[in-house]
Amino acid sequence: MILNTDSLKPIYIQIAEWLEGEILSENIKEDERIYSQYQLSEMFTINPATAAKGLNILADEKIVYKKRGLGMYVSSNAKQFILTKRRSQILGRMIKELVIEANRLAVSESELIRMIQQARKEKGEEQI
Amino acid sequence: MSAIECEDLTKSYGKIKAIDHLSFEIAENKITGLIGRNGAGKTTLLKMIAGYLKPTSGKLKVFSEKPFNSLAVSAKTMFVDDTMTFPDSLTLIDILTEVAPFYANWNSNLASGLFDYYSFNPKQPHSNLSKGSKSTFNSILGIVSRCPLTIFDEPTTGMDSAVRKDFYKALLKDYLEYPRTIILSSHLLSELEELLEEILLIDHGTKRLHLSAMELKELAVGMRGNAQAVLSFVDGKEIIYQEAFAKGSIYIVIRKDFVQQQFEEIRLCGIEVLPVSTDDLCVYLTAKTKGGIEDVFKRG
Repeated sequence: MILNTDSLKPIYIQIAEWLEGEILSENIKEDERIYSQYQLSEMFTINPATAAKGLNILADEKIVYKKRGLGMYVSSNAKQFILTKRRSQILGRMIKELVIEANRLAVSESELIRMIQQARKEKGEEQI
Repeated sequence: MSAIECEDLTKSYGKIKAIDHLSFEIAENKITGLIGRNGAGKTTLLKMIAGYLKPTSGKLKVFSEKPFNSLAVSAKTMFVDDTMTFPDSLTLIDILTEVAPFYANWNSNLASGLFDYYSFNPKQPHSNLSKGSKSTFNSILGIVSRCPLTIFDEPTTGMDSAVRKDFYKALLKDYLEYPRTIILSSHLLSELEELLEEILLIDHGTKRLHLSAMELKELAVGMRGNAQAVLSFVDGKEIIYQEAFAKGSIYIVIRKDFVQQQFEEIRLCGIEVLPVSTDDLCVYLTAKTKGGIEDVFKRG
C-alpha cells in the first residue's frame, strides 16, 4: 500500500485502516500477532510514534489486544467487528450522500430504489 | 529527559538578531524537524546547539551542559551540513577510517555497506565530489556515527530524489535499531514530514510553532467556494491564509476546529473542503504579508 500524504485522512488512520484490511482479508488471522510499531515504521517509512498511534486506535476498539512483553494480537472476533463497523459507518454515510444527491436531482424514492436494484442485478450478473 | 533546553536564547550579529529570545525543549530520542524560510535562523540555532557558535544571551543546555567549548557535548554531537571540509590529503576511505575513533558508537559495518551501495570511489578526495555526492557522503558520516545528538542541516541539498529517499530510509532504519536524538532542518517538509515526530517552526529567529507532526497535519483546513458562503462559515475564526480565486469565489485556510458533522454541512453548501499540505501551511504561517506573489504583479 502507498500512503496518501495529501489526503485529509491522517497517516495513523490510514495505517489503522490498512491493518483492518489485512485482518478482513485474513492476511493476519485472529489470535495471530499483528505488526509492531517498529515493523510498521520500517514498512511505510514513517515515524514509529505515528505507527503506534495507528495501532492504538485498533487497541481502543479492542480489535487487537496486548500480550504483556509479547506485543499486540488480533482479537478473536476482530473480523466480525470490523465488518459491522464498516457497514454501519461507511455504508451509512454513502447512503446518506446518495439520498442527498438524489433529492438534489429530483429523483423520487421509488426511482432511487429501482436504480439500486438495477445496479445490484448488473453486479450480480457480472459475478456469474 | 530533555536533550536540549533553550530559554530566552538570543544570538545577535551586530544589530541584527538572528535568534531572538527563543525558548523550547527537545526530548531525548525523538526525530525533530527544524523548519523555516531562508534566513529564519535555522543554521545559527543548530550551530549554537552543536557548540560552534556562542550565544549572545539566554540559556542553552545540551545534555545538561553548555555546548560552547564543551568537549563532553562535542563528543556526543554530530553536525552534518554541506560545508563540511576534510583535508585534501585524505581519500574518502581514509576519512571513514580516521573519523571512526572519535565516535564511541561508530558503526563501521553500516559505513562500508552504505559506501559500497552508493558506489563511491575509495581513492577519491572529498573536495572532488559533486554537490550531491558530497551531501550523500556527509550523510553517511551522520548516520553511522550514531551520536546521541545528530544534527543534519539541509542534508539533502543537491541529492537526486532516489538518493534522498534512500537517505531517509537508511536514517529511519538505523534510528529504529539505535534510537537517538535527531534534528533535521530542511526546506522540503513534504518529503520528510512522515519521518518526524515533532516539528519546530521558526521565523525571524522566533518560535512560530512547536508541536507533534501529527498535530501539525491536522491543524488547518482549506475551503474553496462562493466567497459569501465561505466567509459566513469562517466568521469570527482566525484566518491563516486567504486568496481570491476565480470571480466571486475564495480560498481560505483556517484552523481545523470543526467536528466531522460540520464538514458535511459545509460540503452540502457547495463548498469544497481541501487538505492543506504542511509545506503550504508553514509558508502561510511565516508569510511576511497576507496575500502572496500574486499581489506583486497586481500593483501598478
